[in-house]
Amino acid sequence: MVELRDVVKRYPNGTVALKNINLKIEKGEFAFIVGPSGSGKSTLIKLLMKEEDVTEGEVFVNGYEVSAMSRRDVPNLRRSLGIVFQDFRLLPNKTVYDNVAFAMQITEALPKEIRRQVPMALALVGLSRKANAYPSQLSGGEQQRVAVARAIVNSPSLLIADEPTGNLDPETSWEIMKLLSEINHRGTTVIVATHEKSIVDAMKKRVIAIDRGVLVRDQQKGLYADEDKNYQIHN
Amino acid sequence: MKIRTIKYIIKEGISNTYKNKLMTLASVSIVTASLIVFGVFLLFIINLNYNASTLKEQPEMRVFCEYELDSAQISQVEKELKQIQNIESVSLVTPKEAFEKFKETLGEDADVLEGFDESLVAASFIIKLVDPDKSSDTIEEIEKINGVRKVSYSKEVVEFVSKLAHWVRMISGLLIVVLLIISMFIISNTIKLTVFARRREINIMKYIGATDWFIRWPFIVEGVIIGVVGSLIAFLLTRYGYNTVEVRFNGDLQSISRDFIRLVKTQDVSSRLIASYVLIGSVVGAVGSLISIRKYLRV
Repeated sequence: MVELRDVVKRYPNGTVALKNINLKIEKGEFAFIVGPSGSGKSTLIKLLMKEEDVTEGEVFVNGYEVSAMSRRDVPNLRRSLGIVFQDFRLLPNKTVYDNVAFAMQITEALPKEIRRQVPMALALVGLSRKANAYPSQLSGGEQQRVAVARAIVNSPSLLIADEPTGNLDPETSWEIMKLLSEINHRGTTVIVATHEKSIVDAMKKRVIAIDRGVLVRDQQKGLYADEDKNYQIHN
Repeated sequence: MKIRTIKYIIKEGISNTYKNKLMTLASVSIVTASLIVFGVFLLFIINLNYNASTLKEQPEMRVFCEYELDSAQISQVEKELKQIQNIESVSLVTPKEAFEKFKETLGEDADVLEGFDESLVAASFIIKLVDPDKSSDTIEEIEKINGVRKVSYSKEVVEFVSKLAHWVRMISGLLIVVLLIISMFIISNTIKLTVFARRREINIMKYIGATDWFIRWPFIVEGVIIGVVGSLIAFLLTRYGYNTVEVRFNGDLQSISRDFIRLVKTQDVSSRLIASYVLIGSVVGAVGSLISIRKYLRV
């Protein structure tokens, strides 16, 4: 599903964000990518959706060889993914319904399909009643749930969330994480970059820890910090 | 591209144009203003060409006969004129016609001619040359004909006007090109403001997998709408302005300018004006959009 082989990412200003990352995430998994700010986890997410290009190594996502694909194919890659951002990234002048429907419109889906799928996605995130509201009329948690609905409406096999709870209070954060976990139970592979220690610890999922660009730990049913090795977190 | 996508693009383009009213208004005004300036130059050139060409077509060569020739002698002169190789056509102006024209020109003062008749003026011929460059040889030949009193030829005037027309055309053409580049730049900057205001939206579209053209098309539609609306307003204003000038010039002022200068009738330039306005307006709008959106697609 997702595979990184000897990946190195060096930015033009000389910063090395990732060093020799080898990683494999199988279909149906739920994986946390953890690490302090500036550790390279955001860079890792950006490589997966080809916002950034690798300097060395290979990246495979959903059967696409991301590290070798041309700019023209990027839309196809992104359509095969669901992406959730820290800042929600909803279109402010479209209603909740239209925001979700938009993700299907750009794939030139049939109107019949759109009318079927959008209410289903909204029901899953529990926002059916707010379909005609505008993003500015919603709370942060609700906005993020709209973003999740938009990410899953095309039934992607992989969902990537980059700090999905970064702008939310702890209680709302839990709701979003539970939602992502439920989506995972329905068969979608989920990758979440976060530094929400309490949530990671409670959920007992696979934890991939990155520090200063190096993959320091990859553990099933892991915790945010590895107490045995006296691993320090930096935030 | 599927029909529903085309529908989406047009709908989106129109609603964006409407939603960004202020920007649209600013862009439309700029399109209108630059097109009007362009139109003034265009009309100037059209009228210059028109006058230069009518001047060229005018009977620049005229052959006057001796006074008191009878009609047989006049037709003898005509026959001889027609035998000259460089003469394309010869048309006779009888003394009577010339006298009437003279009276007409004098208008209210025509009574000074009281007691005179057409014997006052001589018969003349209007000559059209095949090759104006050989005019001096032709004049020599004509002067040899019996009964010819005088040959008048306004060669210098014609040459001067056509030279002037050539230069004015060159300079205005250059000015128009410069002007169009400037207005394209201004328009693309205005649309850049719209694009900048919506860069987040473009960015989001890119992240959820929209292709570049899917994002571009609504902006192109918006640019074309701005261009077309701007050109229609510009057309109405230019047409109104030109019509006012044309009516006054060809009417009231005609007695001053005589036959030398005439403006092209408004209805004769309208179609050319609107066609070039709409074409330029929509191309400038579309290209302006394309230029200004380019930067934000690189995500």
